[in-house]
Amino acid sequence: MAASLFSVISRFLEEYTNTTPNKLKLVDAYLLYILLTGAFQFLYCLLVGTFPFNSFLSGFISCVGSFILAVCLRIQINPHNKGDFLTVSPERAFADFLFANTVLHLVVVNFIG
Amino acid sequence: MCLLSSLVLSGLVLGAHALTPSHHLAASDVARLEAVLSQSFTDLQSAYYSIVGLNKLGVSVADTDIPVSNETRDFLLAAVSEDSTISQIHNSVSTLSSLGLPLASQEVVSALTSRITKEDNVYAITLALQTAAHLSQQADLSGILEEIEDLAARLDDLGGVYLQFEEGLEATALFVTAAYALSDHVDMEPPLKEDQVIQLVNSIFSKKSWDSLSEAFSVACAAAALSNNRFHVPVIVSALGPATVSHRQPLLQLQVTNVLCDPLTSASVVVESASSVTTKSAILNQSPFSLRDGIFELNFMNSQPASGYYQFAVAVTGDSRLVANHIELKVKVSTEVVISNMDLSVVDKDQSIGTKTTRVDYPSKAKNSFVADSHQNFAMSFQLVDVNTGVELTPHQTFVRLHNQKTGQEVVFVAEPDSKNLYKFELDTAERKSEFDSISGTYALYLIVGDATLENPILWNVADVVLKFLDEEAPATVQTKTLYVPKPEIKHLFREPEKRPPTVVSNTFTALVLSPFLLLLILWIKLGANISNFSFSPSCILFHVGHAAMLGLMYVYWTHLNMFQTLKYLAILGSFTFLAGNRMLAQKAVKRIAAEQSSRLAKYRSLR
Repeated sequence: MAASLFSVISRFLEEYTNTTPNKLKLVDAYLLYILLTGAFQFLYCLLVGTFPFNSFLSGFISCVGSFILAVCLRIQINPHNKGDFLTVSPERAFADFLFANTVLHLVVVNFIG
Repeated sequence: MCLLSSLVLSGLVLGAHALTPSHHLAASDVARLEAVLSQSFTDLQSAYYSIVGLNKLGVSVADTDIPVSNETRDFLLAAVSEDSTISQIHNSVSTLSSLGLPLASQEVVSALTSRITKEDNVYAITLALQTAAHLSQQADLSGILEEIEDLAARLDDLGGVYLQFEEGLEATALFVTAAYALSDHVDMEPPLKEDQVIQLVNSIFSKKSWDSLSEAFSVACAAAALSNNRFHVPVIVSALGPATVSHRQPLLQLQVTNVLCDPLTSASVVVESASSVTTKSAILNQSPFSLRDGIFELNFMNSQPASGYYQFAVAVTGDSRLVANHIELKVKVSTEVVISNMDLSVVDKDQSIGTKTTRVDYPSKAKNSFVADSHQNFAMSFQLVDVNTGVELTPHQTFVRLHNQKTGQEVVFVAEPDSKNLYKFELDTAERKSEFDSISGTYALYLIVGDATLENPILWNVADVVLKFLDEEAPATVQTKTLYVPKPEIKHLFREPEKRPPTVVSNTFTALVLSPFLLLLILWIKLGANISNFSFSPSCILFHVGHAAMLGLMYVYWTHLNMFQTLKYLAILGSFTFLAGNRMLAQKAVKRIAAEQSSRLAKYRSLR
């Protein structure tokens, strides 16, 4: 069972490194960064406590929101999905990503206290 | 006054009889009215009010003879026309009639009728009624007579007790005067119901001091009209002093007068029924009052009533004009009480030692004091008896008061009667020690007896009782002394700030949370991020500058600004960055499309 799991994972990683274009890999690195940041915040909350709760919430929501927006960006600039996004060029996707992030971080900084 | 207002209510409740006056002039008020009208007058108007007013009250005033010239008479006659106001017509008509000069009555009637339609207010119509009372009886006064009913409809009924014009007391009183004057003149009963007459009496005579001479005059006129007209004479019945009867004062005395406080000596006053309020048994039936010196008297004690309250229904008859001549009255019969068979004893709780009762007679005090400790009860029994009839009484207040002479403390208990009306009081020393605060000592025992129907309330120091309590925890001072001393100050506890984790922990986790950023940079470099492709076009630089500025603004927002300021700066920076970014991305898009096209072209060429 473990052996098959390990082989699946190694196969997946191999395919990923070979087939994914560089642009997408950059975005994936960004996604990993956001994920880790959120996880560490949650770990702090579990270990030390929820004071101040509003700060924790705003930081965590920031991570979650950024992750979602980055995923959206990744979907939109993936050349495979070009057929689904005929009206949206990669530049447009990136501009949307920037705008949405601005709004998100405005709210986050408001709430962080 | 209270009595009559209470009997107005009882009259309404029973619904059997009509209203009775709740406000009327007492003899002192009539005297005051005369005094007001007797003041010396400085002008013709005051002279008129004084002379005519006193005349109405029956006070004689010196006659004056005024010679009249022909011109004056013609002037007065000419004043009677449609063009003069009703007041002018009234003045000239009353002057002519009091001087004994002839009038043209029909002309006056037609002038008045036309003026009434033009001057529709209460005072004017009242004056018209008054004018018509001076005219000859042959004239057709029916039109003006109808005005009485119309005016009466304009009266305001206040709570079923008062009936008056909104113009006030004077207008109401003058209306009453004029209405009765005219009704007497034409010998037709005014269209006022008995209840309305009584309500008018209430309104006019509720004010006992008058603001002006004209107001006093109007009240005097109304009083005269109501006490001496052919149709309605309201009767005022009130008890002389409190309506109380006892063995010492067995006569119930009533004042039966008209509104001017003149006794109605020709009337016969009869008690239709008198019944006890508690037992509802009738004591009297159709007993007459006898008249003596203007007061109607009845010896109620002849019927041997028991003490208590009695409801009397009194009727005044003898004249068909009398109004409100059925009255309800509450009479109190009071008596004296005597305490008999007062027995005091100290009883052991387990009843082992026989009781030794000591009899004490009022008003002496028991010679020895009684000692009771926690094993014993102190008991007292007595009877309260009516001194005249020997009947047992149950007064409202029968208290036993124990007074500690040293500390000034007093405790009061209630003595209750049993089924045979024998009063008993028992003091259980152990049970009651909380009331006494467990203070042992000598207490003076008092018996207090009182009731509304008792003429001799009793406060009797019966005996001294020495009480011994166990566990004497006597407080040094009485509790009440410390009640009004400033209380201890309450310190407000402000909300304590929440506990924070130690700085080391916070710093560690800050570093931990920021560490993935380093990882990101490392990964990006490893992946070979295309920094070399960075074009130095102005829009590109400006975009990056603007974006960096926006990030800086976020930090400044966190530290210094509020949302409104931030939005303002963000709008400026944002639009700038948007324009630069738009330019930059457009250029990038052009480059990308060109690259795609050239690669496709190359692929096509290689395929060929």
